[in-house]
Amino acid sequence: MKAKPIAFGLGVAVLVVLPFVLNDFRTVQLATVGAYFIAILGLDILTGHSGQISLCHGAFMAVGGYTTAILMANHNVRDLWTIPIAAGVAGGIGLLAGVPALRLSGLYLALATFGIAVVLPTILKKFEHFTGGSTGITLFGKPTQTGHGVGVWRLTNNQWLYVLTWSIGVVLFLLAWWLLGARFGRSLRAVRDSELAAAASGVNRALYKVLAFGVSAAFAGVAGALFAINVAYVSPDTFPIQLSLYLLVGAVVGFFGSIWGAVFGALLIQFLPDIVGVFPHVDTKQAGPTTFFFGLVLVVLMLVLPLLLRLASRISNRGYLGAP
Amino acid sequence: MTRNLVALAAAALTLALAGIAAASPSATPGVSSSTITIGSSGPLTGEAAAAAGVLKGADGYFKYVNARGGVNGRKIDFKFLDDGYDPSRTVNNVRQLIQQDNVFALFGVVGTNGNLAIRDFANAVGVPTVFSASGATTFGREYKKYPWTIGYLPPYSVEGQLYAKHILATNGKKAKIAVLYQADDYGKDVLAGFRKGLGAKRSLIVQTVGYDPTASDVQSQVAQLKASGANTFAIFAFGKFAIQAFVYANKLGWKPQIYVNDVASASSIMQLDPQSTAEGTISILWGKDPATPKFKKDAGTALAATIVKKYIPGGNPSDGFLIAGMAEAFSMVDALKASGKNLTRKGLMNAVTHMNEANNPFLVPGVKVHTTPTFRFPIASVQLQRWHSRHWEPFGGVQSAKP
Repeated sequence: MKAKPIAFGLGVAVLVVLPFVLNDFRTVQLATVGAYFIAILGLDILTGHSGQISLCHGAFMAVGGYTTAILMANHNVRDLWTIPIAAGVAGGIGLLAGVPALRLSGLYLALATFGIAVVLPTILKKFEHFTGGSTGITLFGKPTQTGHGVGVWRLTNNQWLYVLTWSIGVVLFLLAWWLLGARFGRSLRAVRDSELAAAASGVNRALYKVLAFGVSAAFAGVAGALFAINVAYVSPDTFPIQLSLYLLVGAVVGFFGSIWGAVFGALLIQFLPDIVGVFPHVDTKQAGPTTFFFGLVLVVLMLVLPLLLRLASRISNRGYLGAP
Repeated sequence: MTRNLVALAAAALTLALAGIAAASPSATPGVSSSTITIGSSGPLTGEAAAAAGVLKGADGYFKYVNARGGVNGRKIDFKFLDDGYDPSRTVNNVRQLIQQDNVFALFGVVGTNGNLAIRDFANAVGVPTVFSASGATTFGREYKKYPWTIGYLPPYSVEGQLYAKHILATNGKKAKIAVLYQADDYGKDVLAGFRKGLGAKRSLIVQTVGYDPTASDVQSQVAQLKASGANTFAIFAFGKFAIQAFVYANKLGWKPQIYVNDVASASSIMQLDPQSTAEGTISILWGKDPATPKFKKDAGTALAATIVKKYIPGGNPSDGFLIAGMAEAFSMVDALKASGKNLTRKGLMNAVTHMNEANNPFLVPGVKVHTTPTFRFPIASVQLQRWHSRHWEPFGGVQSAKP
């Protein structure tokens, strides 16, 4: 039973060591991985544990990212303080999105959330004076940036972004761990496995389904805020529909919605496009070879992963959809 | 429990693989005794992929120069990354180029929005961002705030003015103008110049409709513009949207006098349009177009064709984007030469702001690359051209495009 604390300790140790062995650019890439990690944690809570599919977590990230960007650029709020506000705004919108989700499930819910992801970039472009339209908002060098883009505590800017993102990432991981092990997580899983049985056991299924959406969206909001702080730039294209799809893929690849696999999913989102980019060009101007191989690798992963996990679970003699 | 450990081990391994040690910094980043590393970013894939020709053309020209000994004894190592025309990816690419690949300078970064997104960063770290493939007026004008940035293309605002002047001169009384524009900084820049050029006759514009650069289609916009009863159609659009504008105008049986902006006027693109609608369209040119009969036997286009054949596999010799890229690369090589043997970033900026280049073989005769520290529009003269039986025909003389 001590494996999880040991794994957690090892993970944190790796995180601490990494900035010392990697160069400046890889460090900031890993900061972006941290943002994806947090978004996938949120998705794990929603999809992995309450069983509701969301194809709009990219949109929740956009809400968080834009909250941060607008506050930093137009209202002189320091970047750090925008993070909880972004969580609140995205969480609020998540709660709202959770209400119609009560009446929808499975494919229908997937389609409804997909709709949110499709609509959001258009909304961002519509209110141009507020969101900067398709040109977006540049945050680089804004006085509200901590360290003005040069870094703090003798860290370079990129190291600072890494420390910031992963500190929050580790805290949120612990929060998710605790939440899912407590009454909240048990209720979610009860609702996922059988709504009827859950209701019969006195679980308020409507409350928990909506709450799952809210908490999950708040995680994505934090991820979006950190993404905006890391890249120092947001535009509607920063949060396309593909991002929502990738996040879901990341959650699934990371052990089918277990928070322990979130790191793996986040690394996949960040690095798989680069890795497949080295394959030769196979098609012409549209879509591009990267997209083709990205799809191919995902299909293969989906086929191979369950086999690997089944093998691993046979070795450890535990089901892989078990405890958080 | 094994599962978690395996996951962490896998994650750690991936991270380790991702980490590649940075090159040791030298006096001037990106410059060694034998190479100069230059970086760029542009849409190699996606909707705007046609513009990748700029980077491929430049790459071809650099390879040609390298094969002839390079610049002051150094070979140019040109590294360009794909951003799919998404500015946040441009930001990431530029970060990688500066912080990991230690490039000496950024050159020919494609797109107005991408260049706007990287401008603050590049200027904060003092990396020259030269001859960007954008004509947004701001890149030439705001040199006090952004001393490390300079564009290349003729300023969009002046391009808009030139079309307006042509309309006033040829059909000033009866023109009823409909405008389709890309609703971002680039499209608005052209449109603002167009309005300015019309001056008091601004009321000739009966309808303007913007489209979103990530939209899929401009069919409804074109229908709306046709319904305005306009007889003149200004297309300030890019890539597939410009083609769609021609296609839908044709479908709707609309036969206006069309003006199409420079960035959508490559022959290779125009030839895709329905020719009955495209016939008589007016645009500007500054780089030589190999498909134009006048330049068929030209030494510059012949050189371009050789370079395409030898260094750009799969390149279409009549792709105007390739020639534009070669023109930019020619100016870049000139600037690097002028920066001397002791190459520094400051020295390069000094050279690109003291350009006086009249021998660029890829530019239309009479178009010179001229800059001063306070005048940063490298291409500030253009010629008008008219589309006729599947090719462009330049007309009138070379005229000033100074903002």
